[in-house]
Amino acid sequence: MADVLRNARTRLVLASMLLSTALAAAVLALVYVTANRTIAAETRSVVEAELAGLETDYERLGVLGLITAIERRAEGAERRDALYLLTNRFGTVLAGNMMRWPPDVEPGSGWVELDLIRTASGETVPISAASLRLRGGERLLVGRDASARRQFEQVLLKTMGLALLAALALSLLTGGLLTRLVFSRLQETARTADEIVSGDLTRRIPLRGSGDEIDQMAGTLNEMLDRIEELVSNLRTTSNAIAHDLRSPLSRLRQKIEALGEPGLAPPTREVDGARALAEVDHLLRVLTQLTAISRAEAGLGRDQFEQVDPARLLRDVAELYDPLAAERDIALLVEASADPLPGHPALLAQALSNLIENALRYAPDGSTIRLSATSTDTNLCLAVADEGPGVPEADLHRLDQPFVTLDPSRGDGASGLGLALVAAIARMHGGRFEARRLTPGFEAALTLAR
Amino acid sequence: MSRRLLIVEDDTETRDFVAKGFAEEGFAVETAADGREGLYLATDGSFDAIVLDRMLPGLDGLALIKSVRAAGMRTPVLMLTAMSAVDERVKGLRAGADDYLVKPFSFQELHARIEALLRRPQEAEETALLACRDLEMDLLRRRVTRAGREITLTPREFQILEYFLRRKNRVISRTMLLEGVWDYHFDPNTNIVDVHISKLRRQIGDTGEAPLIETVRGAGYMMSDG
Repeated sequence: MADVLRNARTRLVLASMLLSTALAAAVLALVYVTANRTIAAETRSVVEAELAGLETDYERLGVLGLITAIERRAEGAERRDALYLLTNRFGTVLAGNMMRWPPDVEPGSGWVELDLIRTASGETVPISAASLRLRGGERLLVGRDASARRQFEQVLLKTMGLALLAALALSLLTGGLLTRLVFSRLQETARTADEIVSGDLTRRIPLRGSGDEIDQMAGTLNEMLDRIEELVSNLRTTSNAIAHDLRSPLSRLRQKIEALGEPGLAPPTREVDGARALAEVDHLLRVLTQLTAISRAEAGLGRDQFEQVDPARLLRDVAELYDPLAAERDIALLVEASADPLPGHPALLAQALSNLIENALRYAPDGSTIRLSATSTDTNLCLAVADEGPGVPEADLHRLDQPFVTLDPSRGDGASGLGLALVAAIARMHGGRFEARRLTPGFEAALTLAR
Repeated sequence: MSRRLLIVEDDTETRDFVAKGFAEEGFAVETAADGREGLYLATDGSFDAIVLDRMLPGLDGLALIKSVRAAGMRTPVLMLTAMSAVDERVKGLRAGADDYLVKPFSFQELHARIEALLRRPQEAEETALLACRDLEMDLLRRRVTRAGREITLTPREFQILEYFLRRKNRVISRTMLLEGVWDYHFDPNTNIVDVHISKLRRQIGDTGEAPLIETVRGAGYMMSDG
């Protein structure tokens, strides 16, 4: 029971039911009171008119005239439920269809409700009556049998009771149906959520296509679920990739350490194995450092160290660092900067550019040109590194910034597959994005930053 | 008299490894395993240098160095940390550390940096002339000569050479060069520093026997006047 009451739908239905029933009861009570009053007032005015008429008859015709008038009226009185009684000053009945003067009624005391015995039938009936004392001391009473009215009242009450019951049932029904419309969809949502909780991230809340508020809400929730699924799957891919990427260098390292333990190893061999083991460790450390840098940038840490960065100077400095390396292969590093300073993290931006240049150097043919450019629009600043290498297939452009994506696994040149992921994270940290484009010939990677 | 070194590090293996290394290099080493003990020893004032871990039980490394500096002690401090981010480095240096090394590190790198700290001129040496054997550098006129013959250098080559000349007979690691000359705090995936050094060597005619700038295997470079 407590569960049913706690149920939001039950409570809603109950509340609506109570409200509509109270409303119906109030309306019915008003009808009842008004009807009663109207009928009573009508009876009263008729009785008072009769009383006044009979008094006039008495004034004009005397007691005998009054008796005749009463007898005449009493003849058809049964039909009209009318009651008349005239007594002398001692209470002896002179005329009328009632057996005796009611004991506790003082003539002239106004409107009274009585139970009286009628002469004809001898039964006790409820009566509404008014009375007078005439000038000669006689008492006159005119009334109406109230049993019909009482009956009407009862019928009215019963009818109203039924109407109230009907209203109750109807409000239950409509409340139930209306809330079902809403709650069935809420339940759909809750069911979907349950399924997602139990592990099925692909579930979505069904839409009715009506575009109503509930559909809109479901749509928004579905979009949120899409984003969460994407993030979780990214995370899953990344952690799988981390596990995979660390597994091979770790097992190579294990082999080398094992080999170092072999007895009777010639010192030069031992030295070479030791150096290789160290190289593996360095690679692992670099991967971990980059992963940390990526997650820090993704979390936006270091934003408090933003300062005004001059893009031209930034590009020139990084280019200058790599110039001798490029020169060894006759590659020209060209800087074209025409951009205003912007707020940024100088060290991280330099690292991003260094990653892009190292990438470009890896693929640029000897004797070609690598262009570093900074161009600004009203809203953006674009830092780009373009090479004249073989480029990247169109289909792979979008996944370049995913962690551990190396397009050319045959090039075992120590690329961690994290360089561009870090660049993208640094771009996002600056409110921008990483973009890769095919050139003819070549490839351009760019950080588009918000100014 | 041997140089006195204080090592404040809570990780036993690292502490022993570093202590043993410096002892073999002829240092008198004392160690502390937590921040409070470290601060107590550090304020003793008899140490020539302090190797300090960033994360310590009892008293955090940053708090420790602030207390040491607040006490008016100028003992050179090298901070060790597992936190590689640039802003962490900045925090450490702002707190008063003289240098900063990210774990894991090689002992050679740590040794090179401690030597550099120990020989750092206590007062800024305002000299206009630097020299090593037959190489001379005039900082005012921005001129470099070797055996009396003038050598033309790019501003960056000049800067690298100056960095070496100011740290003669000390091992300079690649990361020290990247930090000191370029102000870059990341590890490039390429041998870019070596390329710059070999270019500089060619410029100063450092190709024959007994070069000015020697390669120290596994550690970096050293300019020796011996």
